[in-house]
Amino acid sequence: MTQAVPEQSKKKYDLGFARWVYDNIDGGDKLSMCMQCGACSGSCPIGVQMDHGPRKLFMMIRAGMKEAVLSSNTLWNCTKCYRCVVRCPRGVPVTYILGSLGTKAVELGYADKEDTRSFARSFWWSAATFGRTDERLVTARYYFSFGLVEGIKKGLANLKIALGMVKTGRMHIGAPHKIKDTRGLQAILAKAQEIESRAGKG
Amino acid sequence: MMTDVEKKKFTYYPGCSSQGSARHLDESLRAIAPELGLELEELDDWNCCGASVGHVAGGSLPNLSLTGRNLANAAKQGKQDVLTGCAACYLNTHAGNEKIKKDVALRGRVNEALAAADTSYDDDLQVRHACEVIVNEVGLDKIRERVTNPLTGLKVASYVGCQTVRPFANTDGGGSYDTYDDPEFLDNFTQACGAEAVDFEVKTACCGGSVSVMNPEKTLHLIKRILDAAKASDADVIATPCPLCQTNVEMYQDAINKEFGTDFNIPVVFYSQLMAVAFGLDKEKAAALQRNTIRSEKLENMAKA
Repeated sequence: MTQAVPEQSKKKYDLGFARWVYDNIDGGDKLSMCMQCGACSGSCPIGVQMDHGPRKLFMMIRAGMKEAVLSSNTLWNCTKCYRCVVRCPRGVPVTYILGSLGTKAVELGYADKEDTRSFARSFWWSAATFGRTDERLVTARYYFSFGLVEGIKKGLANLKIALGMVKTGRMHIGAPHKIKDTRGLQAILAKAQEIESRAGKG
Repeated sequence: MMTDVEKKKFTYYPGCSSQGSARHLDESLRAIAPELGLELEELDDWNCCGASVGHVAGGSLPNLSLTGRNLANAAKQGKQDVLTGCAACYLNTHAGNEKIKKDVALRGRVNEALAAADTSYDDDLQVRHACEVIVNEVGLDKIRERVTNPLTGLKVASYVGCQTVRPFANTDGGGSYDTYDDPEFLDNFTQACGAEAVDFEVKTACCGGSVSVMNPEKTLHLIKRILDAAKASDADVIATPCPLCQTNVEMYQDAINKEFGTDFNIPVVFYSQLMAVAFGLDKEKAAALQRNTIRSEKLENMAKA
């Protein structure tokens, strides 16, 4: 079982949350190497869309700002370009840490309204049901996760793109592509989920 | 005009986009592979790699088990390296493979999950990107030798994107492949095909990846930057190895024109489509040029078959 995340401290500087990150976040053990140089935030193509750049977010972890970190949109706006990972002079796997923090934020209920969570759910539904990503159905489920009206609106806004894809044979009509052994895959995923809830970080 | 060259065999992992938005990458890659001495045997019953968001909804170990199952299937097909043309498939499968190989306890957990379907991954396979294989196994001379229809006069902006080279441009298995910020392999491919590689300083800029699929309003400016640079360098086409880069940069040009008052209509093709045309192969069956929503008349007119 993942260690319970400690409550937000009343103290100004409390390493409780940082220690939880070190132990429970993929790549978190490297976080102590961060020297706050800012190469990550400076390299980020989408920093303008983030409420905190990765450098600041890492300092917030050390400062014990659990609530602000787990509800930060930085976790969701990362495009996974890995520029920060290859540039970090201290070998901190920034992108992986943000991704893993996102996974935990979802688990802990901090991201109920995040678009990425809805998109990820649609995506995982397809991967687990068919063994493959059906781009049509993932997109449609994602659009309609905003409600019927909003779903239709988003669908119509992208109608021209969709028609172009159909015309060029890049969006097929008909049943989803499936793997042969969907039952085997589902058994594997169910078992992996069970192991994870028992063992903590994968 | 196939010669009897000895082919190096790979287990080929096409990835989900090969059946959808990036069919033209899969089709052209399968067409050029034998010409370059590569035999691609499709990975049996391959599944999704987890892409950029699998871990968010599935969790870390279930997401890694997707890769575990693919590698278990690959190992049953033989010890040959696994090859993929998709940037995300490469990143996830390669990263997952390295993690599993280095961490005995993690391999144990993955295998415990795989045991639910009576399978396991106990081997030491290598996972490689098609471009890295073309750089290190095929070489530019072989590409040049195979070119019967040089793309003379075609100006190409070689757009590498992110995950094809980051973070794995330099790997234990694949050897030194290229650099993270200023890779040259794509320019080299372009030139080997007889085309002109124009100056293109945003070659590893980000297209927004899956954020562009979810929330294009957040990332249109990133794609615009790529299109601006291609236009400034007077490119006829943008060439890329990445499925998501190809789709994002192609399909959002209308939205960008609407948002920024521009008039972009720049074809975005895969390097493998360029090679197929340069090798004199069929423009539809091999180069799959009919699958681009923005067609390049200039490239299509160059096709010999």
